[in-house]
Amino acid sequence: MEIAIAIITGTVVAATPLLFAAMGELVAERSGVLNLGVEGMMLIGAVTAFHVAFAGYPLAVAAGAGVLAGAASSLVFGVLALNLLANQYAAGIALTILGGGLSAFLGREFGAAPIDPVEALHIPVLSDIPVVGRILFDYDPLVYVAFILFGLIWWMLFRTKAGLVLRIIGENPQAAHDIGFKVIPIRYLAVLFGGAMAGLGGAYLAIAYTPLWVENMTAGRGWIALALVVFASWRPLRVLLGAILFGGVNILQLHAQGQGIGPASEFLSALPYLATILVLVLISRNRQTQKVNFPASLAKPFRPGH
Amino acid sequence: MARNISRREALKYSAATGAMATGLAGVPRLVAAADPLKVGIVYVSPISEIGWTKQHSLGAEAIADTFGERASITAIDNVWDPQAGERVFAELASTGHGLVFGTSFSHSTPIQKTAPRFPDVAFEHCSGLKHSRNLGTFEAKYYEGTYLAGIAGGHVTESKKLGFIGGFPIPDIVGPGNAMLLGAQSVDPSITCSVIFLNSWFDPAKEKEATAALVAQGCDVICSMTDTATGVQVAEQNGAWSIGYASDMRQFGPTKNLTSFMLDWTSVYVGAARDVLDGTWTSKVRWQGVKEGVVTMSPYNDQLPAGVIDQLTVAEAAIKDGSLHPYRGELRDQQGNVRVAEGSRLSDPDIRGFNWFVEGMVGNLEG
Repeated sequence: MEIAIAIITGTVVAATPLLFAAMGELVAERSGVLNLGVEGMMLIGAVTAFHVAFAGYPLAVAAGAGVLAGAASSLVFGVLALNLLANQYAAGIALTILGGGLSAFLGREFGAAPIDPVEALHIPVLSDIPVVGRILFDYDPLVYVAFILFGLIWWMLFRTKAGLVLRIIGENPQAAHDIGFKVIPIRYLAVLFGGAMAGLGGAYLAIAYTPLWVENMTAGRGWIALALVVFASWRPLRVLLGAILFGGVNILQLHAQGQGIGPASEFLSALPYLATILVLVLISRNRQTQKVNFPASLAKPFRPGH
Repeated sequence: MARNISRREALKYSAATGAMATGLAGVPRLVAAADPLKVGIVYVSPISEIGWTKQHSLGAEAIADTFGERASITAIDNVWDPQAGERVFAELASTGHGLVFGTSFSHSTPIQKTAPRFPDVAFEHCSGLKHSRNLGTFEAKYYEGTYLAGIAGGHVTESKKLGFIGGFPIPDIVGPGNAMLLGAQSVDPSITCSVIFLNSWFDPAKEKEATAALVAQGCDVICSMTDTATGVQVAEQNGAWSIGYASDMRQFGPTKNLTSFMLDWTSVYVGAARDVLDGTWTSKVRWQGVKEGVVTMSPYNDQLPAGVIDQLTVAEAAIKDGSLHPYRGELRDQQGNVRVAEGSRLSDPDIRGFNWFVEGMVGNLEG
C-alpha cells in the first residue's frame, strides 16, 4: 500500500514539469509556431527561480521569476521567428543551446548548495483522509497549479472565442489575416505563454522537485514535452495522459528495479520513452483526428499580404 | 651523380625516418625547463562543490599548489559524450599540453583513440581499463570504502533493508554495491539490499525519485553512488540513513548521514605531474584504496555507539594491512551458487570485471 501510494504521488509530481512545458508548447503550436527551444527556456526559468529562491524570497515569487525569465527568452525566439521570419526549427534550437549555456553560466556560483525544500500544501480535513488524502491532497502548490492550468487551457482552446481564433490562426493564418485577426500579435502572445510555461516547468524542477541547481538539470524533459505535444495530436487531454504516462512509467521502472523485478536497468530506463510513444501513437492513429488537430501552418513563417 | 628521388621513394624514406624518430623518442619528454608544464584535465560533469568531479578538481588544485609556476592547468568540464571527448582530448594534446587527464569511464574510447596519435603526451585515465605506452590508468578500490560504510549501515538498519543507487551498471559500481551489502552482512547475514541504476551520472530529479522509491520499499540506509548529493538529501528528508560518495556530504544530511567514502586523488595527480616534469613518466596501472589514502572515510555519525566506531576503526586498519578483504569467501550469487570458496577471495581480474550480484542483492543485471 505504501508502495502504491508512493508510485501514485511520485507520478503526479514527476508529470508536473512536463505538463507545464507541454501545455505551453501546445498553445504555441496551435497558433502555428513551432518552438523547439523549450529545453533551453526551462533551464533559464530554473536558474532564475533558483536565484530568487536562494536569495530568500518565497516560492510564489521565485516561480513568478521563472515565468518571467521563460517569457523573456521566448521573446527572443518570437522576434526571430515572427518578425525576422527566420527558420523556426533553427531559431528554436538556437534558443535551446543559448538557454543551456546561459543557465550553466548563471548557475555556477551555487555549487551544490540546496535551498529549503518546498512544503506540501496542507489542506485542512482533506489532506488527512487516510489514503485518498495523500494521493489527492498532499502536494505542493505548483502541482495543483499545473492541473488547474491544464483545465483552463482545455477550456480556453475549445470553449472560448479566443481559443477558436488561436486555432484558426494556426490552421490558416492568411484567411485569419484577411478576416481581420491580428496574426502576429496573437502568435506572439501564444509564444510568450509557451515560454512562460516552460520557465515555470523549469522553476518547478529547481525549487520544488530537487531543491538544488545542477547544470542541465532538466535532463531532456523539454524535448520530451515537445514530443508529447506531437504524439498527442495537439489535444490537451492526450498531452496530460502522455505526461502522466511518462512520469508514471519512470517511477514504476525505478520501483521495479528496486524490487528486482523485470529486465535489466538499461531496458527499464528506456521504457518510459518507448511506452509513451507507443501509447500515444496508437491512440492517435486515426488519420481524421490527426488531420483535424494538426495546425496546418505549423512552423511556416507568415508574411502578411502574400 | 645525383639521382632524382621519385615521389614514392621520398614518401617511403620520410615515413621510415619518421617511424624511427618516433621509436627513438621513447616516453614523453619534458618540455624545455623554462616553459611551464601544461596540464589538461577533462571532467565528465560540471565542477561542483561536491562529488566525483570535485574530488578530481582537488587533484588539479594540488598540482597548482605543489608546482606553482612550473605547471599551468587547463580544465574542461561537462564532457561526457565520446564524440565531444575525442575532440577535446585531441585539442588538448595538440596545443602543447604535456599531461592530459581523463576522469571517467565514459572517457575510455576517446582517450584510447587519442593517445596513440600523440605519443609525446602523457595521458592518465581514471577508471580506464586499458593502458598503453603513453596511457596510464588509475582507479580506486571503492569497495573498501563501501564495505566499511556497510558495516556502519548494518548496525543501524532496523528494516534490514539497504538501498543502493548507482549511475551505470558497470563493474566499478556493481562491485562496491556488493561490498556494501557484504559489510552489512558481516553484522547480520539476513540484511538485503535493493539496487536501482539511473543510467545517468547526473540526473538529480531521477535520483530523488529513485531514493523515494527505495524508502517507500522499506530501505532505511541509502547509498547513492552518483555525482550529486541528492540521494543524501532526499534520504534525510525521508528519515533514512545515508551514505555519501566521493566527498563529505554531511552538510546535506546533517542528522542521518552515516559517513561518506571519499576519494583523494591528489597523490596521483601530483605524482604524475612530478614524473612528467622530471622526465621519468611511464605508463602505470594504479589501483589504490584505503592503504594508499586514496579512499578515506568521512567522520562517522556521532549517533553511532562508540563500540561500533571502534569496530569500524579496527576494520579499516585490517583492510589497510591486508588481513581483511571485503571479497573474501564464501561468496554466493543470487542463484545461490558458490562463486568464491571459503578461505579464498575474489581474484583481482574478477573484481575489476564484477558483473554479478551477491546473495541478498535485490536487482537484475541480466537483460
